[in-house]
Amino acid sequence: MTAPATPTGPVEGGDSASGKRASGDDGQPIQAIHAAPTGVLRRYVFSVDHKVIGRQFLFLGLIFLAVGGVMAMLIRWQLASPGRPVPVVGRLLFGGSGGVISPAAYTSLFTMHGTIMIFFAVTPILIGGFGNFCVPLLIGARDMAFPRLNMLSFWTMAASTATLTASFFVPLGSAQAGWTAYATLSTAIGAPGTGQTLWTVAVYLNGASSVMGAVNYITSVVRLRAPGMNYMRMPLTVWGFFLTSMLNALFVPVLGAAMVLLFFDRVFGTQFFVAGSTIRGGGDPILYQHLFWLFGHPEVYILILPAWGIVGDLLSFFARKPAFGYRVTVASLIAVVVLSCVVYGHHMFTTGMSPLLGESFMLLTMVISVPTALLFLNWLGTLWRGAARMTTPMLYCVGLVFTFGIGGLTGLWLADVVADMYLHDTFFVVGHFHLIMAAALLLATFAAVHFWFPKMFGRMMSERLGKLHFWPTFISLNLVFIGQMLIGYAGMQRRLYDPSAYDFLRHLLPWNKHISQAAYVLGAFQLVFVWNFFYSMKRGKPAPANPWQVGTLEWTVASPPPHHNFDHIPVVVRGPHELGHPAAIARGKDWLAQDEVIE
Amino acid sequence: MTAAGATRSRRDIDASIGMVIFLATVTMLFAALLLAYAVLRTQAPAWPPAGAPPFPRAAAGGSSLVLLAASFALRRARRAGSSAWLRAGATLGVTFLALQVSLWRHLVAGQLGPGHGPLADVFFALSGFHALHVAGGLVAIAATGKRRLGLLVTYWDFVAAIWLIVYFAVCVL
Repeated sequence: MTAPATPTGPVEGGDSASGKRASGDDGQPIQAIHAAPTGVLRRYVFSVDHKVIGRQFLFLGLIFLAVGGVMAMLIRWQLASPGRPVPVVGRLLFGGSGGVISPAAYTSLFTMHGTIMIFFAVTPILIGGFGNFCVPLLIGARDMAFPRLNMLSFWTMAASTATLTASFFVPLGSAQAGWTAYATLSTAIGAPGTGQTLWTVAVYLNGASSVMGAVNYITSVVRLRAPGMNYMRMPLTVWGFFLTSMLNALFVPVLGAAMVLLFFDRVFGTQFFVAGSTIRGGGDPILYQHLFWLFGHPEVYILILPAWGIVGDLLSFFARKPAFGYRVTVASLIAVVVLSCVVYGHHMFTTGMSPLLGESFMLLTMVISVPTALLFLNWLGTLWRGAARMTTPMLYCVGLVFTFGIGGLTGLWLADVVADMYLHDTFFVVGHFHLIMAAALLLATFAAVHFWFPKMFGRMMSERLGKLHFWPTFISLNLVFIGQMLIGYAGMQRRLYDPSAYDFLRHLLPWNKHISQAAYVLGAFQLVFVWNFFYSMKRGKPAPANPWQVGTLEWTVASPPPHHNFDHIPVVVRGPHELGHPAAIARGKDWLAQDEVIE
Repeated sequence: MTAAGATRSRRDIDASIGMVIFLATVTMLFAALLLAYAVLRTQAPAWPPAGAPPFPRAAAGGSSLVLLAASFALRRARRAGSSAWLRAGATLGVTFLALQVSLWRHLVAGQLGPGHGPLADVFFALSGFHALHVAGGLVAIAATGKRRLGLLVTYWDFVAAIWLIVYFAVCVL
């Protein structure tokens, strides 16, 4: 294992080691350089700078990640110690019931935990935060194509979070219909309070924000790539955001349609999702599930594609060799995007779907494991015989490869109709889902934070604290989610208030206790990350321009970059992963910048 | 071509690409709503639903003509660069919304409001959500005026086309 952060070679100023560059600005006065705004409001609050908006999304997402995480701890408390008062914060949060989580509060907790983590933590952190920060910098642009739309996207997200937060303070409390908000639990019949209505509005606004981002990301990638940055020279990170934006643009509106109809049902008294009579016809609760999962399955790829892209790049950067099978990786990502549109039925095997249709969805779902396996093998190929630098971002990436492997394989069980009939609605589903959507995405998030922190804030995060955070997080994540799969396989259903009330689940109580203990460890060690994040922002070692010694464009400018990113639009002459290139070795280093001219 | 001219045309292309992506998302939204309509309709034992009063097709058709006229006026505004046609388009847009509101009031009074069977629900939700997009178009006219006439025309044509599809699917078919 080599030393962290700045392992070998001279890094002073970063830039000086990287040779000559050409400028792509000639005859191309396209992306004007605007002076940085001086007022505090225009600079930090209503900014149109993608780097500021990215950080705004990041902070908003991290706050809600903490809120959703506390909710997870409370859920685990109820499963481990059913009906016992919550220590420390119990009286404050559940004063009415003497600190005990009531059934209604528990239902609300798991509903809002899911909602917050999916829509208000992962989406703003990965897509809003890193998407905004990275896309223009990595393609060599001075900003997004539509900076003001970008600002509107963030403030729509802020309005959405305000609406969601308000739902906690209305009579009957917040939404309680699960994060999927199945009808008729979510219609006026199942959820009479205002909380579910506010939830519906919040999710709609959240989607509107995502769509605005998607319009911006796609247009920026299509139009603002620096000269020479053809599609096959784009970093995989950009591919991830590009493809995610396409899915966002096409499938978030389907969720929007579901929310519109749910809103009409709740507010205007229509009956789209209320079962109708056989004489007059009428609504259909299953219709909601179709609309939700038409969006919902692409949504999991919307969330994981940026993570795949980031990991694809970072594994190459820290294995110090080019990404193995770059073109195959890109083709696999595209294949996953296409296939993700036609597999949603696997969420609905138990709704009385025609067996023939179920079989079709099963086959299509299993086919998706082919491009995914290629992607996975390419990661292993990238690692194979690399000169690995086990920095903190690399650790998170390798951890992701592991959890994604297990999470992906167990997906095949759930894709199988026969196995799914038994496993449906058990903690096996919860464990599988969390291994990918929680474990893998969190590890990608931490990798991205550690990796781009120097570019965002001009300082390095502590490697020592990073490792102190990684190992307990990685181990406890796996204990929690693999444990959940085990008890799910043993038959424990999800969303039960007190599983120990049932004879056939009582023997699982000790298991639940152990899973909860691992979850508390997981929760506690996140404080290390919080400390590292804020301490490094103030006191971290000042970051050079290119601390990781890699060649993508964001590392050719200062840390943090100037307001307009690039003094001269770079001219790209090679791909993003030129590590170990002989021409570089001849110059006493092992990487070449994407715009570096070799004479 | 001057540098300024080149800059403008490039920004225009960016804007029209952005507009195409945005319209794709709105298309998916209405496609999903029409899918919901198709599911409800195929599951109903009879259509129009048994016992429902006759639907006032002609009144809804009349507002269609107003929306088309608004689209036409905006096209003239783009060609002539005229503020008068722009104001005419905006006025026709407001008229369309007013007609829709009076139609909804009429429907609610005539046992065809929300909650009175699937046909009434579908028309109310689709026309209501569509009206929001028309209102958004009016806000865009107010906000951008003559600066973005090309994009405005694209958007209004699109909104008019969506309305014709909704009207044909729900009121005619």
